[in-house]
Amino acid sequence: MAICTGCSLLCEDIVATYENGALTHVKNLCRKGHGHFQAAFTERTVPMIDGEQVTLDSAIAKAAEILKSAKSPLLYGWSNSTLEAQAAGIKLAEKLGATMDGTSSFCQGILMERILSGKIPSCTLDDVRNYADTSIFWGSDPSSSHPRHLSRFSYYPRGEKRQKSYEEERTCIVVDVRKSATARLCSNYYFRVAPGGDAEFMEAILAVLEGKIPKVGDKKKMIELGSRLKKTKWGAIFPGPGMIYSLQDKMELFERLVAKLNEITTFKVIPMVGHYNMRGFNELMLEKTGFINSVSFKGGAAVHGPEHSAMAAAKTSDAALVIGSDPLSALPFGTAHALARLPLIAIDPRRSLTTDAAKVVIPSAISGLETGGTAVRMDGVKIKFEPIIDTNLLSDEQILTRIMEAI
Amino acid sequence: MVGAMEIYMLLPKTNCKKCGLPTCMAFAVGLLGREKKVDECTPLIEEKKYEAKLKKLREVMAPIENASETGLIIHPERCFGCGNCVVACPVNVAAEPTRSAVGLGPESEKVILRVEDGVVVANNLKECRRFGPNKTLCNACTATCPSKAIEFV
Amino acid sequence: MAAEVQVTIVTVRDIFQDEAGRKSRFSDEYKNLSALIILDKQDMIRLEAKDGQKLLVKNDVGSVIVAARTSEDDMHPGLAFMYNSPWSNQLVSDVVCEGSIPEFKNIKATLSTTEENMNITRISELQARMQS
Repeated sequence: MAICTGCSLLCEDIVATYENGALTHVKNLCRKGHGHFQAAFTERTVPMIDGEQVTLDSAIAKAAEILKSAKSPLLYGWSNSTLEAQAAGIKLAEKLGATMDGTSSFCQGILMERILSGKIPSCTLDDVRNYADTSIFWGSDPSSSHPRHLSRFSYYPRGEKRQKSYEEERTCIVVDVRKSATARLCSNYYFRVAPGGDAEFMEAILAVLEGKIPKVGDKKKMIELGSRLKKTKWGAIFPGPGMIYSLQDKMELFERLVAKLNEITTFKVIPMVGHYNMRGFNELMLEKTGFINSVSFKGGAAVHGPEHSAMAAAKTSDAALVIGSDPLSALPFGTAHALARLPLIAIDPRRSLTTDAAKVVIPSAISGLETGGTAVRMDGVKIKFEPIIDTNLLSDEQILTRIMEAI
Repeated sequence: MVGAMEIYMLLPKTNCKKCGLPTCMAFAVGLLGREKKVDECTPLIEEKKYEAKLKKLREVMAPIENASETGLIIHPERCFGCGNCVVACPVNVAAEPTRSAVGLGPESEKVILRVEDGVVVANNLKECRRFGPNKTLCNACTATCPSKAIEFV
Repeated sequence: MAAEVQVTIVTVRDIFQDEAGRKSRFSDEYKNLSALIILDKQDMIRLEAKDGQKLLVKNDVGSVIVAARTSEDDMHPGLAFMYNSPWSNQLVSDVVCEGSIPEFKNIKATLSTTEENMNITRISELQARMQS
């Protein structure tokens, strides 16, 4: 059995046949996971400095030299690295007095903070499978982003208390700006919101739960939703970027909605984390520094703040190390442009816009396929994995340790 | 999926009865139900003026002719590999109460649907509830598909 | 004078585009699935555009030329969708209130049809802009 690190469901039932340097047959991987596994055989990186191929030793030495001479380096990425690599990264950041940030500051961070501090109740995906009779996908489209979410946990499987599952015992609800692939499967309870309209919609649910007339939405449909929520025995909400980006500083409203639902019945929340170990990074950072992301070690002690987010630090840093992430593809143009002007070190198994722009490229082994480690699933469950392909490539952890030794 | 009317439009529409059926519409229904074959419409095959229609008809009939005996058609290019159908299929559930039924990838050879190389594949179709004398109109696999990758004709 | 249409672009995910991007960010397949804007039927009519029509998408942050596609969703005039990619990120501002997330899902932009000979923006052009 292999583990898929293609998304934060970390599916553990993958059967892969590896022969003569290729994956000849793979069972149980979704399309996305299959793309992730096949990617191991295309566009792999080689050690490079200024676009010229060099030895691994010289690339590592050059990376150490850049970081050592920088006044305020940024270390960014981490969501596609194992806990072991993240721990090595935090040590490196401490040694360098660097800024440390992950992808969560652009994504699930503001919700994850509330989950990890216990302000919003959460549970495991196995609990969802065993007990949930209502699943709400809010600004998330797991069919596209986490393809096996509905089949493994949230809608279709049979669970301990849900033997009649989706046919009789489970309801799924979608709140989204578009009729997504998931919304098509939950069309009885699909609620369309306008961009930025999530806060208003939350107020409307709060109103119907309190027996008032909602201000927005089809009143009849809203009242029906209210009674569905009240009838729920055990509910789960899966917020995606759609809800988070729309709410931003009004996250407190969601906290209130969840509290209200829990006065009536049980409702838990699991953030739809994208990358396979984003949550692991948040948990580890919280444990080591007291903050989930955007931390500077400049004065020695860990200091947190928006000025230490990657977006801000891209403009104030004088060097950056990017690991397992492609910010030049994924972040706004201005941030990509700011990063590209820095001496950039990219640790990545595969070619990306970021490795193309990097001064130093260090190839790494792909976690789950070529190297083992530990990661935290979107619901907080720790999952350990072993490699299924032999490689001479170093793991992220080994690379970071070698950079640290050279500083 | 193509309908009887669309097929009818590609026939000679002469009601010549050479296929053994009273009308071209009846023949179209027969093609859709896989009781008739395109080649049984001899004018369409033999007469040059129908050449373009014949070509188009063969194109639209290809997926129907390739359908399994239960009428199941899989479009792998549309499939997400999500496994919803694998977990929902009542035959899979009965065959594997501790795997397919609870969301895990199948291990048993008895299941009908499984995901291989990122897309769904079907085996053991004789076990499908739509097959045989006691057939039912089960649609667990098509109803749970997010991308219309499974169809029945 | 060609018609101009104002839209709000929401970036979303697509499994086929995601799969293509995992295999290669530099392939035609990834470009064809990323340099796309999905529009409501009415907006397509207002632009006199057919599926595959090249459109200039422009705002204060930047501009890209992408292909138009008619939405399969119900009516949502004024609302357009793009898949997360370096193309959509050309239009996302990084100037935000401190601590806020950029408006990946609320991008205001103007659409217009382009001359026949204009090409869909290539990834190499996007890279050149970033590294300029």
